[in-house]
Amino acid sequence: MTASSGAQMRGAAGRIRPHARPRETGLLILVAVVLVVGSISLGATQRQLAGQKLSWLPADAGQLVIYLGALVAAHLALIVAGRRSDQVLLPTIGLLGGISLLLMERLPQSLVTQSLAGRDFGLASIQLGWLLLAIAVIAIAAVAVRSDAWLRRYKYTWAAAGIALLLLTFLFGDEVNGALLTIQVGPFSGQPTELIKVILVIFLAGYLSEFRPLLVTESMRLGPLRLPPLQYLLPMLAMWAMALGIVVIQRDLGAALLFFAVFLALVYIATARASYVLIGLVLFVAGSVIAYELFGTVRDRVDIWLDPFADASGKGYQVVQSLYAFGRGGIIGTGLGAGLPLVAGRLPIPAIHTDFPFAALGEELGLIGVVAILGLYLIVIERGLRVAASAADDFRALLAAGLTLVVGVQAFIIAAGNLKLIPLTGVTLPFISYGGSSLLANGVVVGLLLALSDRGVEPPPPPRVAGRRRPRLLGGPAGAGR
Amino acid sequence: MDPYVVAIWIVRIAFLGGLYLFMFGVARLLLRDLRAAARDPKGALARLVVVGSDVSEPPRGTVFGLDAVATIGRDVNNSIVVEDDFASTEHAVLTFRGRAWYVEDLASTNGTFVNGQRIDALNAIAYGDELQVGRVRFRFERARR
Repeated sequence: MTASSGAQMRGAAGRIRPHARPRETGLLILVAVVLVVGSISLGATQRQLAGQKLSWLPADAGQLVIYLGALVAAHLALIVAGRRSDQVLLPTIGLLGGISLLLMERLPQSLVTQSLAGRDFGLASIQLGWLLLAIAVIAIAAVAVRSDAWLRRYKYTWAAAGIALLLLTFLFGDEVNGALLTIQVGPFSGQPTELIKVILVIFLAGYLSEFRPLLVTESMRLGPLRLPPLQYLLPMLAMWAMALGIVVIQRDLGAALLFFAVFLALVYIATARASYVLIGLVLFVAGSVIAYELFGTVRDRVDIWLDPFADASGKGYQVVQSLYAFGRGGIIGTGLGAGLPLVAGRLPIPAIHTDFPFAALGEELGLIGVVAILGLYLIVIERGLRVAASAADDFRALLAAGLTLVVGVQAFIIAAGNLKLIPLTGVTLPFISYGGSSLLANGVVVGLLLALSDRGVEPPPPPRVAGRRRPRLLGGPAGAGR
Repeated sequence: MDPYVVAIWIVRIAFLGGLYLFMFGVARLLLRDLRAAARDPKGALARLVVVGSDVSEPPRGTVFGLDAVATIGRDVNNSIVVEDDFASTEHAVLTFRGRAWYVEDLASTNGTFVNGQRIDALNAIAYGDELQVGRVRFRFERARR
């Protein structure tokens, strides 16, 4: 037993003292060097292929400088704010975002165009704008979020907001590639599913941390399965129904898969009971079979996955082209800017900037590059789970683990889909795919993780137990005790 | 061979190498953290932080590391000694049973409270819960790793 009296007293809140972050500085310098080298490689290759004069200038120096400047600004903001948060997350996300920028500079700029204030912007410029916003979101969340009370206290409000967003998409959503995903507001369109995944994790963390003791108690035994009281299984069923609802109404398989996987993982983390996971998997298989029988979209995806070459120029076209791209890339890749041969004058994969950036990177950076990118996601997961492991209470631990898993599982789903390891479902590759909603939502995730990783963060409030009184003074006789 | 082509090839490989250099850098930090953690053997399974104690011992801010069994009470033989008129000699015991933590009231006169509710006999306790013994309030926390 150790008692360190007073030494662990938390410093008075509100005082802000800058705190150096040497590890982050070092890693960011490394990131800048790597990105400049990548940009030089891209520029030289593009000039060589276009037959222009040789030079070693980066591909688009201006954009790269702006991007690196934003990273440095976020770094300085964290130093000035004096938060003792994780120092590896920001450089890792910075590297992923930088790779995204290089990829978008490299793809045909006409894939996405937007006119704003009389000027036309191409793919890379728009992506750069979103990346800057995402970095700003990360920095603001990491500096400003000093208490998680607003997250833990209003979990049902958050759940309601999530369901409202889902309904909005259902009522006013536009169809993209057979899935009801986007909402159009003025000139901007957004994908609410990206935000819903963050809200879902907040709700689940709140719900599971409150009912964890009840979920762990067992009241029934069904053969080798130990089951909790039946009413606590209801949220599981509700979650399953919601995932199926997303498949049925929105035809968004990726989001449904992501939500259910993260839900099961969080339940397991909270209860450490394999029986929950088993029940969840049984439900998942049952739901998949039902969806396969009833919905053409699901059947198509599975058939393409089983044999994309059966209809290589039709339904299986994108997946086949993706496999060819990985094949062309080989071990060290064709080099940035040298891949993507056009098929009949057009891009082989139309959705290369949103759904197939992993295939594009597989072609240009090869197996080595793709493994490195998976490694970067692993670093994000490791840091996030470390935040969860050192959290002070269950809510924070579950929140950090859930946020981490949202990013990790999503990266796995789309990377595996590109590689034909699992049926392709259209989710974005976090921090690399083109798209504002995805970048901003993932920015919120990383910002919250950074805030949670701070050791000097406000201690969690004592939990309030539903229907019970607040702590009260003892009413015993004076001088009691034996 | 065109020297320009060779140079482009070298830059290309340098970029891939850079990605791995970054990962190596992160791995080195991780290793340093692990070594530091190994040098600092805090075997505690959880922590108990005193969050409210106006007139009694231990004072506010004291942190106790917990073993699998930790007894609380006024007697000096307890793992956590609470000097408070409203605490019993052997007041409560915290136990870690493989998966979850439990708190048990040892038939104390004034009772043991979890989140303001008086507990009878054995009760599960979760990280973040508030435990009250006599006039001393503790917060039950995860061990810092």
